Amino acid sequence: MTAYARIGAGTQPVIVYHEVVKRYGSFTALDRVSGQVNRGEVVCLIGPSGSGKSTLLRCTNALEPFDGGRVLFDGVELPRAESEARHVRRRMGMVFQNFELFPHMTALDNVAVGRVTVLGEAKAAARKRARSLLAKVGLSDKEASYPATLSGGQQQRVAIARALAMDPEVMLFDEPTSALDPETIGEVLNVMKQLADEGMTMVVVTHEMTFARRVGNWIIVFDHGRIVEEGPPAQIFDRPREQRTKDFFSHLGWGG
Amino acid sequence: MDFDFSPVVTNWRFLASGLVLTIVLALASMTGATLVGTAVGIARHYGPRWLGLVLALYIDSMRAIPVLVVLVLPMIVDIQLSPFATGLVALTAHLGAYVAEIVRAGIASIRPGQTRAALALGMSRVQVVRKIVLPQAIVRMLPAYGSILSITIKDTAIATVIAVPELMRQSETIAAQSFRPLEVFTTTMLVFFLLLFPVTRGVDAVYRRVQHLGRS
Ligand SMILES: Nc1ncnc2c1ncn2[C@@H]1O[C@H](COP(=O)(O)OP(=O)(O)O)[C@@H](O)[C@H]1O
Ligand SMILES: [Mg+2]
Repeated sequence: MTAYARIGAGTQPVIVYHEVVKRYGSFTALDRVSGQVNRGEVVCLIGPSGSGKSTLLRCTNALEPFDGGRVLFDGVELPRAESEARHVRRRMGMVFQNFELFPHMTALDNVAVGRVTVLGEAKAAARKRARSLLAKVGLSDKEASYPATLSGGQQQRVAIARALAMDPEVMLFDEPTSALDPETIGEVLNVMKQLADEGMTMVVVTHEMTFARRVGNWIIVFDHGRIVEEGPPAQIFDRPREQRTKDFFSHLGWGG
Repeated sequence: MDFDFSPVVTNWRFLASGLVLTIVLALASMTGATLVGTAVGIARHYGPRWLGLVLALYIDSMRAIPVLVVLVLPMIVDIQLSPFATGLVALTAHLGAYVAEIVRAGIASIRPGQTRAALALGMSRVQVVRKIVLPQAIVRMLPAYGSILSITIKDTAIATVIAVPELMRQSETIAAQSFRPLEVFTTTMLVFFLLLFPVTRGVDAVYRRVQHLGRS
């Protein structure tokens, strides 16, 4: 195998994890995790549930304070103060397993609310932007719908549009299709694929191995709060080095 | 036995003035209790631990002391207020504790993912509470709030003991003067029912319409 040039390798990484430690009481959820996410990359985090993937994602945009190590975003260490953390968070979009749309707002206002509240943009301008984003995720006809009336796949696409509305430099996805009916998973993955094709930097926690393999540029395998191994999809999926990676794949019923 | 409702009829203005005061006292106490309860409920959920303990003491004592005792408390400690003002303060303090618990439970019922999603957009903690958590919590609080509202209207009747000329007080006066307590109090009961029935039904109807807005 020839040396693999990682995407964005020549530029400053968007995110750098340096020996990140996170504890819940005596339990260590992240055990000196180091790694990076380059500009334009789609990094997929895979691994058994409870291994710390969501925790790492939440430490990335300062939603969760951590106990040791450093996280750098765009070359700057994440601030500890809540007032400054806001400014970092708004530069990263986040998509959740349970969508977490705001039930008291229409789809359009779910997408517009960030620009109005956080950026102080006028409502009309924010809605105009929200409209184009709903069109992008194929939901122009659902502008006036409340989340309760939308299918899971539609809700998740609105949630992606909501995150995109802030013009993020990186998108964080935490198992975006795990709560979906099988028939609506595809429509969400298609939107994510489209984003990746447009060059969006993405960190994706997922159990969708087909997606990770085809869309991901870099795979990180997690277990017990540690990185077991990482590499390009071809290496991880076809020639995993670590026994724990192989165990994980066979547990998923994924031929390795 | 003959029924004679003429005392009610001849004194209807007097009784009606009592009804007006009942409604005014109920609305004013409820407004006060909503303001106090919202502030206390939010402070208990988001505030520091010591503040939570202080507020828990307030809530627990208000729930432990009968509203009747709360009403006469200002007199015992010799605070000079008009009967109406005394009633208003006492009912606000008493009901505020119940509203605070409803608000706190409402906020606690909104799952943390909603807060996380709002923070992830870059909202401040205050914006998250105002724009995301409270609007949903208010919807979920409606049924319990409706109950408190009807309890408030009924509790105003207790203010008769401190001589607030509300409906119950006026009824007692007419009943004593006319020696027709049965007719007078039957009428009073009916008036309370006619006042409360639409209120509770109205809140239920509103809740059914907006329920989905609090369902995350
Ligand atoms: N708030 C919390 N308090 C205590 N333990 C937690 C908390 N959040 C997560 N954990 C624990 O940390 C570990 C990692 O969780 P998580 O990051 O959610 O795993 P994953 O996303 O890989 O399934 C799990 O064992 C979980 O039980
Ligand atoms: Mg997880």
